[in-house]
Amino acid sequence: MSEEQGLQIRHLCKSFGITKALKDVSFDIAKGEVHALIGENGSGKSTLTNMLTGIYSIDSGTFTLDGKDVHPKNQVDANNQGISIIVQELGTLSGLTVAENIFLGHEERFIHAGFIRDTKAMNAEADRLLRLYGFERIKASNLVDDYNFEDRKLIEIVKATYFHPRIVVIDETTTALSQEGREELYKHMARIRREGGTVIFISHDLPEVLDKSDTITILRDGTYIDTVRSKDVNEEQLKKLMVGREMTGSYYRSDYGEKVSDEVVLSVKHVSVPGIIHDVSFDLHRGEILGFGGLSESGMHEVGKAVFGASFDRVGEVSLADGTQINDIPTAIAHSIAYTSKDRDNESVVINQSIRDNIALPSLDRLGIGKTGLLNWRKINDFADKYAKEMSVKMVAVDQFVSELSGGNKQKVVLARWIGKGSDIVVLDSPTRGIDIKVKQDIYQLMDQMRKQGKSIIMISEELMELIGMCDRIIIMKDGALNGEVKRSRELNENNLIEMMV
Amino acid sequence: MTEAAAVETSKESQIRSARRWKLIRALLPIAGLILMIIFFNYETNGRLLKHLPLAMSQVYVIMIASMGVFFIMTMGGLDFSQGSILGLSCIVVCAVSKYSIPLAILAGIATGAAIGAVNGYFYVRRKIKSFIVTICTMFLFRGLIKYLTTNSPVAGSPQLLMIDSTTFKVVCTAAVVAVGFVIFTFTKFGVYLKAIGAGEQAAKFAGIRTDRMKFMVYVLSGAITGFAAFISAIKIGSVTSSGGNMLETQILIALVLGGMPISGGAMARFGNCVVGSLLYVVLLSGLTMMGFTPQLMQLIQGIVFLVFVAIFADRDSLTVIK
Repeated sequence: MSEEQGLQIRHLCKSFGITKALKDVSFDIAKGEVHALIGENGSGKSTLTNMLTGIYSIDSGTFTLDGKDVHPKNQVDANNQGISIIVQELGTLSGLTVAENIFLGHEERFIHAGFIRDTKAMNAEADRLLRLYGFERIKASNLVDDYNFEDRKLIEIVKATYFHPRIVVIDETTTALSQEGREELYKHMARIRREGGTVIFISHDLPEVLDKSDTITILRDGTYIDTVRSKDVNEEQLKKLMVGREMTGSYYRSDYGEKVSDEVVLSVKHVSVPGIIHDVSFDLHRGEILGFGGLSESGMHEVGKAVFGASFDRVGEVSLADGTQINDIPTAIAHSIAYTSKDRDNESVVINQSIRDNIALPSLDRLGIGKTGLLNWRKINDFADKYAKEMSVKMVAVDQFVSELSGGNKQKVVLARWIGKGSDIVVLDSPTRGIDIKVKQDIYQLMDQMRKQGKSIIMISEELMELIGMCDRIIIMKDGALNGEVKRSRELNENNLIEMMV
Repeated sequence: MTEAAAVETSKESQIRSARRWKLIRALLPIAGLILMIIFFNYETNGRLLKHLPLAMSQVYVIMIASMGVFFIMTMGGLDFSQGSILGLSCIVVCAVSKYSIPLAILAGIATGAAIGAVNGYFYVRRKIKSFIVTICTMFLFRGLIKYLTTNSPVAGSPQLLMIDSTTFKVVCTAAVVAVGFVIFTFTKFGVYLKAIGAGEQAAKFAGIRTDRMKFMVYVLSGAITGFAAFISAIKIGSVTSSGGNMLETQILIALVLGGMPISGGAMARFGNCVVGSLLYVVLLSGLTMMGFTPQLMQLIQGIVFLVFVAIFADRDSLTVIK
């Protein structure tokens, strides 16, 4: 392979204000390989690919693709230079048709006489591509809004790859996909590679990375660490390279066959939320970790909200052992129920607010001067500091704003809030979503501890492995209803659960 | 490990410098106030300080009313109906003062609270952006004020004017501000307001009854301005169709001068409304004493307003204005 082939990255730097996101990163990506990019949150993976695809501007450094410098001004420009990206969140625009989305920025092919767009030809071409990819069920002339998250991701695959780009960036796309969608994506990764294109693959899922990539580059804190051949390394070695130190202790809980108490602490009876979940009933026991699994749209996320009294238009009954009805959030909190949302920045942490206020918010009643109703700020400070430290939140002081923290530390702040409040029933929706290995491990250990203290946990997650690793019982949801239940066991594997999900 | 340690210390120094900026930002309005007093005093050959007590007679109404708007803006809302609230409450105060002065005070407060409740109802229950709602109510109640003063200004009881004294107004203003300060800084109320401004959805999920809070703050702000109407009425003794005109803009300029972030949230400090009102009045009197015409003064105020908004706007959170 000649020196000129593939992508050379040289001395790449990028800063956001005072934060240095990338520091002098240089490495090569060979033509025709699947090159994985891994690292903890904030290590600079997405910053790098966003610069390559023209989403961010380049501070200094160069990208050289097949011997030519590339310096895309925007995504369309990047496409024209043979580079495309599939992003983590939704990358299609609502209100446009499937065909319009696929050819967004490249409509000129179908424009005649300067301004007349040949919609028919565009739809026909889009339909042809969709058939070619094997997505016949998606119709080019329909609005993308008619399709669910999963199908819209498939549309993005077409959009990003139909023009045979030389480099396709896949940024954490698989976390949002079901097993079926993932297989579809893997198929196309293999095809691009076969046709001589290069795939840059970003993922938190190490087994997936090892299985699907040829080469792996590790970034940490914005600096380049190493590039390794996938067949030469194992998961433990990768973790060590990412974190920069040996991972010790167990990851998930290790006990099996422990008896869960029969004492019911919370019971949900015939709960429905119009259009999202219907007729959901279950009991939560003392000291139990109850898992909820399913596809993202299965309604499992709404179950968490329903238990917390946060659902709009809920019918049915959520009650505690003493018969208290939970119908709104303040009642839920007053009766020792806690909730952390999947939408961490909007629904969990008050983002533009200090760590102190975030932790103390529901506990202010206890932090006053006697019974005067006046607040004691020293007490509040100590309280927040104590629980932030207990959760080892990476911070300088509690008056720091939450918006300055990484995803994992934001999650720790929320957990510190509820541990400080002393909640006995904790609903965790996707508690480790987008969080790096080290913090994940902390959260798992914390859950195990809480369980042993007799607290009950509802864990809602799209990651089947963590449900299997942590839960005493897993309920699988499908189309808004309960679709099966399994008990904790050593023999349980992902396939047992997937069967019930789809 | 040394590298990691270096990263840590650089992070720490970053946060230190960010904190220093926060402090500078907090002190800037106070420094601005002192500088402006010195500047205008020099420009007017010492007349500013000599006539300061007179100049300050304008500050009471603005400072009291701006406190309510400060609460509203802290939770991320806006209120353009303050002028109409003041005007209408003044009419009620004047009309009722013929029967009983204490009753007039209560009636003024009740009128303000009622208009605040209208604002709150449409904002919270009908989910209309606060600035749209309050622009509507500003227009609507200004119309009512004009209707009520069609034939002649509404005159209050002569007793009203007899109450007027600097001491009385200073005591009233200081009392309102002191109570407001304690409530904002040392009760859940202030913490909740800031939380709503900094992230309403998350505040709700932390157990704050956000809708109730939002409604109550509009009612409270209206009530506070209703009390300011009493202070205004004892000074003037009657209300014309332009009573309270432009108060909303004056309040906004005052708050922005005081360093209030337009989008509210955790950066709001109680000092914003106190220092801001003083700054505004000093600016106004200084310009008057320097001989600017009212027309030109509005132009200058507009420029100052725009410049300060541009400086203090926190662009990351501008989208949260409700």
